[in-house]
Amino acid sequence: MVKKTYRIPGIECAMCAMALQSLEDDVPGVRRANASYRHQRLEVEFDETKVTEEELLAAIVDLGYDVEAIA
Amino acid sequence: MITIWIAFITGLTTGGLGCLALQGGLLTSSLARQAETDALRGKRSGPAAITATSGMSGASIARTILLFLGAKTVAHAVLGFFLGALGAFLRLNALTRALLQFGIGVFMIGNALRMLNVHPIFRYFAFEPPAQITRYVRRTSKREASFALPIFLGVLTVLIPCGISQTMMMAAMGTGNAWMGASLMAAFTLGTCPVFFGVAYSAMRIGAKLEHTFMRVVAVVMVLFGLVALESGLNLMGSPLSASRLARSLRDDGATTSVVLIPTQVAPEPTTVSQEIVMEPAGDPIEPDITPTPAPPEKQTIYVQAMQDSYLPPRQRALANVPAELVFITDFTRSCTRALVIRELGVETYLAESGRETFEVPPMAPGAVLRFSCSAGIYTGEIIFE
Repeated sequence: MVKKTYRIPGIECAMCAMALQSLEDDVPGVRRANASYRHQRLEVEFDETKVTEEELLAAIVDLGYDVEAIA
Repeated sequence: MITIWIAFITGLTTGGLGCLALQGGLLTSSLARQAETDALRGKRSGPAAITATSGMSGASIARTILLFLGAKTVAHAVLGFFLGALGAFLRLNALTRALLQFGIGVFMIGNALRMLNVHPIFRYFAFEPPAQITRYVRRTSKREASFALPIFLGVLTVLIPCGISQTMMMAAMGTGNAWMGASLMAAFTLGTCPVFFGVAYSAMRIGAKLEHTFMRVVAVVMVLFGLVALESGLNLMGSPLSASRLARSLRDDGATTSVVLIPTQVAPEPTTVSQEIVMEPAGDPIEPDITPTPAPPEKQTIYVQAMQDSYLPPRQRALANVPAELVFITDFTRSCTRALVIRELGVETYLAESGRETFEVPPMAPGAVLRFSCSAGIYTGEIIFE
């Protein structure tokens, strides 16, 4: 399992954070997706044998958010 | 203190949009699930009915929204009940309520500035539910639609309150009464219903851009309400820095005096005066002028009338170093001016609808100002001792 943190500058409220959290259900291989409106960040824990980082980033963009890698 | 009517109007004007932004997604999920269920059950036919809520019958949409809003109102009323009870348990006095009002004002203005994206620091004014709660709420909303789903989601909205809801929650606690807290939250939530229903009913037709504009309007209104709350807090604290008191100081330099002096009851001591009778050639003898020095009054009486929308006079002068009786008069007064607070005298009372109530005021130093207000800090008055 890999844990990565991304900066999501478009999170405008808790509803956006909930929408990003739905990656857990909609993207196979994502175990946890915790978004924070305050810090404009998304922490994702995923199984890279099931989903690549590129696919994950594409899923985030599909939700309507820009994404920048941090760590 | 925010009254029931103000809570309702707040919900009607800004709360509906504010709550919709945060909670509308839950309702939309519920509507989408209901649409799929309706299609599967054969209530609507055709491909358009399968994926779009616009395929739902109007009655089905209305029923789902009404169940959601009804459950939301009841849940928020129950929450308000417990918050009001908490406020009573904490026994909020005038000063604590003043600080709470001040806090509400700061919170509202901070939230509004967050919504306007003024600076990232204002994001800390947002309440972020724990991830476990949002995860539970989200997954619940995705369940297959049933009669109970919109009800359940409506109840869950208490876990994800919008900024204005959070402010109302603080106000509910500030009532210090369980039933008042419940009434306040119910009034606010009912106020949100028309806007919530109207916008949600045509939710698919409102573009993101229009919603963005609405949110800016909401933010501006929140700033105004926040300033009102700050003003109330300052008045309750007896601060001279509230806008109403500053304005009164600037425009009024001749305070009305309605003080009645009670003269000294003891007869003055006889004054020895040498009398010289001057005989005029043709006239009566002229009596010498005896003017005894008046003794200081024992007490003074200060009258204030509690009107429907003010205290009269709002500002008056009285004698320093003389004890006073401060008499508040009501005459079929049905207003919150009856909920009187005189912080310096430790007075927090509810005046009778008609009558007089007297408070003893000790001798006040020259320049002292005795301030009073309604318990909400909206209607104010002051007595200046000179």
